[in-house]
Amino acid sequence: MIENLVEITSDQLLGEITKAKVEGYRFVTASCADNGDDTIDVIYHFDRDYGMKNFKITVKKGEEVPSISKVIFSAVLVENEMKELFGLNITGIVIDYGGHMLLSEEELGSPFLRQQITIEQRGGKQ
Amino acid sequence: MSSTVIPFGPQHPVLPEPLHIKLVMEDENIVDAIPAIGYVHRGLEKLTETKEFTQNVFVVERVCGICSVMHAMAYCQGIEELMNIEVPDRAKFLRVIWAELHRMHSHLLWLGLLADAFGFESLFMQVWRDREKVMDIMEETAGARVVISANTIGGTRRDLTKEQMVKINVTVDEIKHDIQQVEAVFLNNYTVKHRLVGRGILSKADAIELCAVGPMARAAGIPMDLRTTGYSAYGQLDFEPVTHSDGDNYARTYVRLHEVYQSIDLIKQAIAKIPEGEHVAPFKGNPPKGEVISRVEQPRGEVLYYLRANGTKNLERLRLRTPTFQNIPSLIKMLPGSQLADVPLLILTIDPCISCTER
Repeated sequence: MIENLVEITSDQLLGEITKAKVEGYRFVTASCADNGDDTIDVIYHFDRDYGMKNFKITVKKGEEVPSISKVIFSAVLVENEMKELFGLNITGIVIDYGGHMLLSEEELGSPFLRQQITIEQRGGKQ
Repeated sequence: MSSTVIPFGPQHPVLPEPLHIKLVMEDENIVDAIPAIGYVHRGLEKLTETKEFTQNVFVVERVCGICSVMHAMAYCQGIEELMNIEVPDRAKFLRVIWAELHRMHSHLLWLGLLADAFGFESLFMQVWRDREKVMDIMEETAGARVVISANTIGGTRRDLTKEQMVKINVTVDEIKHDIQQVEAVFLNNYTVKHRLVGRGILSKADAIELCAVGPMARAAGIPMDLRTTGYSAYGQLDFEPVTHSDGDNYARTYVRLHEVYQSIDLIKQAIAKIPEGEHVAPFKGNPPKGEVISRVEQPRGEVLYYLRANGTKNLERLRLRTPTFQNIPSLIKMLPGSQLADVPLLILTIDPCISCTER
């Protein structure tokens, strides 16, 4: 149902993003979704003259994903957000908040993932 | 020259919501700016996974009060596309009327805040007096003043009577007259222009590079307005995006002020053209399945909804990107080179909505 969706690998990501930018596409945002297994989908949304182009990569949890912020600076915030909320291992973000743009020290890691450990041991009590 | 870091916010008189910016200063000049958000993050995207897809209309409205109608509109349009629901024509016009009323009250709120920020209290009060008239229309037509819950999947939850439409027509004419009275102060007053003209410049090239949206982009000369794609009933209305070429504080003020007039015109066109008929299409069948992207133009610019549904009552994923989130990189670009005294107005002119940004 999504128009102009292209599935690529994370190795192709920077090349495709750079090409889209050169072709005049505007970066809209990126969306992240947990597939419920050990993979995560990341979709990068672009627009040109109100027509969208979307690049989708599927990565294993913990697998490195190159940051696109060197090519598109406005991806800085969304990349930090995906890194914190989904634990996506994005490397080389131009401004990296180190996992604390939204979350504080006390928060559980990756709260938007479907599977997470919800029982914490605090002071010897569970 | 040695540099000093000055924290701006998260609590500041000019900011209705918490936003923190570390300003790296050399004397009075800003050389770098690093934003920090996360003070009001609520995890609403995650909450939508625990609610039924019909209940989420009420959740997304609470992302932000000022543009609640547009949030619900974008979400409903997405679900309607997934479920192949044909929205009645009357509902499309009703959605436009309530959406433009929301745009009016958002821009009037911002114009009032701007007047307050540059110390023009009487101007602030005059603009907000008119905003109250819009809020009164909301209350009379939808039963609430801010989060009005006008949209539902398949159309609108309420209809407008002929009497209500006549009253809306009269009220928006009054507001137009009032805004024309104060327009000269915003756009021609020497003191006001001194604070706005040439300050906080975002060039067209930078707006493209930083992917700016909404009045930020239009004030830099980019005629980008998703309403021109014709979603809902916009395709049946006559309008052009309001633009300016200077990209400064003044240009952003000009665009928002003129968009108030544009909203008034769109409301009047919609009332003149609204057809008779049902205002909601009942839907049956299985819950939504598939992926969809839905976009609409909010007062601050483009909002994007990405929905992923698996055929159950609960969505697998709801992702939304709001305009302020997209405009923060432009703010980081505009701040260096400015003076400390200009920072409050400069931040205000991106019309930051932190509630939207953090969800």
